[in-house]
Amino acid sequence: MGGESLAPPPGRRSGVGGAVIDFWRSFFLLTGCLLPACTGSGDPPLLRLALQTEPATLDPVAAVDFSSGTLSSLIHSNLVRFDAAGRIVPDLAREWSISEDGRRYRFSLFPARFANGRRVTARDVVFSFRRLLDPATVSPRWWVLEPVKSAASFHAGSPFSDDSMLALDDSTLVITLEGPTAHFLSLLSMPAAGVVCAEEVRERGADYGRRPCGSGPWKLSFWHAGEEIRLEKNSHCREINASVEGISFRILPESMTRIAEFEVGNLDILEVPGAEINHWRTAAPGLLQAEELRVVYIGLNNRKPPLDDPRVRRALNLAVDVETIIARILFGAGRRSRGPVPPALLPWPTGTDLYPYDPEEARRLLSEAGFPHGFSMEIWQRENPEAGRILESVQGYLARVGIEVKIVTREWGAFKQAVDRGTPDAFYLDWFADYPDAENFLQPLFHSSNRGGGGNRSGYANSRVDSLLEEAAAQVNAGTRTRLYQRAEELIYRDAPWIFLWFPIRYEVVSERITGYRIPLIFNGRRFLEVSFSGRSDH
Amino acid sequence: MIKFVLRRIILLVPILLGVVTVTFILMYVIPGDPVLALVGERYDEETLEAKRRELGLDQPLFKQYLGYLGRVSRMDLGRSFITGRPVTESIAERFPRTLTLALSAMLLAVSGGILAGALAAWGRFPWLGRSMMTLSLVGVSIPVFWLGLLLIFLFSIKLSLLPPSGYGGGSWRYLILPAITLSFASLATIARVTRSGFLDTGGEDFVRTARAKGLGESKVLGKHILRNALIPVVTIVGTDFGSYLSGSVLTESIFGWPGLGRFIVQAILKRDFPVIQGSILFMAVLFVIVNLLVDLSYGIIDPRVRRMGGAS
Repeated sequence: MGGESLAPPPGRRSGVGGAVIDFWRSFFLLTGCLLPACTGSGDPPLLRLALQTEPATLDPVAAVDFSSGTLSSLIHSNLVRFDAAGRIVPDLAREWSISEDGRRYRFSLFPARFANGRRVTARDVVFSFRRLLDPATVSPRWWVLEPVKSAASFHAGSPFSDDSMLALDDSTLVITLEGPTAHFLSLLSMPAAGVVCAEEVRERGADYGRRPCGSGPWKLSFWHAGEEIRLEKNSHCREINASVEGISFRILPESMTRIAEFEVGNLDILEVPGAEINHWRTAAPGLLQAEELRVVYIGLNNRKPPLDDPRVRRALNLAVDVETIIARILFGAGRRSRGPVPPALLPWPTGTDLYPYDPEEARRLLSEAGFPHGFSMEIWQRENPEAGRILESVQGYLARVGIEVKIVTREWGAFKQAVDRGTPDAFYLDWFADYPDAENFLQPLFHSSNRGGGGNRSGYANSRVDSLLEEAAAQVNAGTRTRLYQRAEELIYRDAPWIFLWFPIRYEVVSERITGYRIPLIFNGRRFLEVSFSGRSDH
Repeated sequence: MIKFVLRRIILLVPILLGVVTVTFILMYVIPGDPVLALVGERYDEETLEAKRRELGLDQPLFKQYLGYLGRVSRMDLGRSFITGRPVTESIAERFPRTLTLALSAMLLAVSGGILAGALAAWGRFPWLGRSMMTLSLVGVSIPVFWLGLLLIFLFSIKLSLLPPSGYGGGSWRYLILPAITLSFASLATIARVTRSGFLDTGGEDFVRTARAKGLGESKVLGKHILRNALIPVVTIVGTDFGSYLSGSVLTESIFGWPGLGRFIVQAILKRDFPVIQGSILFMAVLFVIVNLLVDLSYGIIDPRVRRMGGAS
């Protein structure tokens, strides 16, 4: 591994502990056991990162987990993509225009090339999109292109409508939509809309997910299962990183192991786990932080009594001191949510803090709803120590207003199945943005058509919210769209389908070896094109 | 002996059939749907059904079971639902790594455990015996997770001697810490058992006779005491080694070791049926083979067992 180091981290302690350590170090030196301090110094400069979980696939149409989506986005180009700030920027498409009715998108492509050297044409884009929609592909992400004309009927088994996606020549593509869809470019930036090389897909078949060929800035060098995935620079790509030759993703499931690897200088970027934040705040002055496009919540089963009564749900929100939980358990790594949409995507209307910590008011609302002595309920969680601590705290707060909470822990598979079926009274969950748009939080999580696996796991239904969301999705005017979403969010906030908790703050620490890195707003907004080596070394 | 081995090999068939059946039933009894792991957080019912059809999960259970039996009889363990890779390929890739770690850990445990046990039983330095036994008590009690992190902290972060984690393409430097961590509990148990074995056997009549006829102490120790004291050690080795071979989830997770343990746990969490079934079947075969080898080694170490085995 290039630049790998076994040298000590800075700031070693002195004193008796130091003397003992020095003794052992000398002992190993004398007995010849000391290992080479640095290996692979002649290797090309690599950016060294860690993945908590191994990707299931690198095929855009099958990538549904975080790791798969992240890596697939580095290997494949889209028509457009997100930059680190979450803005839509050109990727394969040099420029694009949208017809006045918002239904026709015309893209002009750069003369880009795949990793195998072959020119990317508009026909490759059509092939990739058609593959995503094809019912034979059985892609769980086919809905990314659902707004395209006849896409849903093609996915349901009807013949493909050629005029919905038309390659006019090698570098011009026209896509027609069923109706105006304001977030269509955001959808095109998702990993699922990555453009693949047609002949490589045909040749590699089911193995494409492990041997992908895209036109992104990086290409797969090797994949050692359970250990490391190495990407190298795709020299055919229009945008390349001049100083970084490759990226090594090591698969390290344990957070303490990742910390150890960072401390000895084997990783360049470390996502700081919650329990370690205070330590790194003092140990790493250059600690990066960014509010994630993620909302953490306790979903309440809106179809199950007594939680089907909005007064009860409001009481639950009033009874939990979220600010204190953020301060004490998260060490400040979160921002209390007032509504489900992160403020970076949808500004909160002023004066809408409906649920300050107020147990008295909570008790009053419970009495009004017919539960003066409270009731008992279950909150389900998947196995996670932090979630356990948080829910124990919630349990304590709710007990103060007479609600007896039983915490039920299930592993992920069983938890997900139960929650999607609407079994638990309540559940602790979070939602990551697929793309930086308020629609991605409101439509899947609260539209009544998405109840269950569609994202609306609390079973919330409000016809006024439904029509506002539908109106906003078709609205091309940005200002009107924002106002519509704000109204929908306010209604949802008042109806309290969840106990609103927080938007997490992500902390990352970066080695002195690299510069130019920033935490992206959205996970696929980082392509590591701006990162370079500072010339300084940790070792 | 050959008859004994043949009988055990024939016994493998009903054992494996039982394992396949129980695993298969368990997969469908426990809550959790394998298709949910494939569709992400936003899906529709049609996609769920299409995925079920694609994976053959829409078929009646008995048909699925017979199909699986048919494939297994052709040595085909199927493909992972999640990655689409053949299960045999994944096992073949990961098992050598698990085997390397298991063998190294066992070697450390056996050599260190017997040495520590023998030293503890040797009455010349009582303080040494007491220290060894205290250490072995710590070894039995210490949680693997904590020990692993402690070793990383000391040898990687503080002393900068060994890499904290990874496989390193098979380099021995990466093997040391996980092997020590994995071996620790076995080493401690073997030390305790060896000590009591040495003390018990040391007082037997045949040892006294051997000494009385003027046999050298090293021969008494090596030929008479050690051989007899080894029988329970072999039992421990058999049991522990069998479990090491099926992967050591905690050790592999702490040290980022790409072995079978993590692979199987991930498969269980994602309800990746073919991987779970294939891996369990593979582990069952391994267990049976290791136990057979242990039984055979009893006869080599102690001729009385061989005679009894022959008589039965």
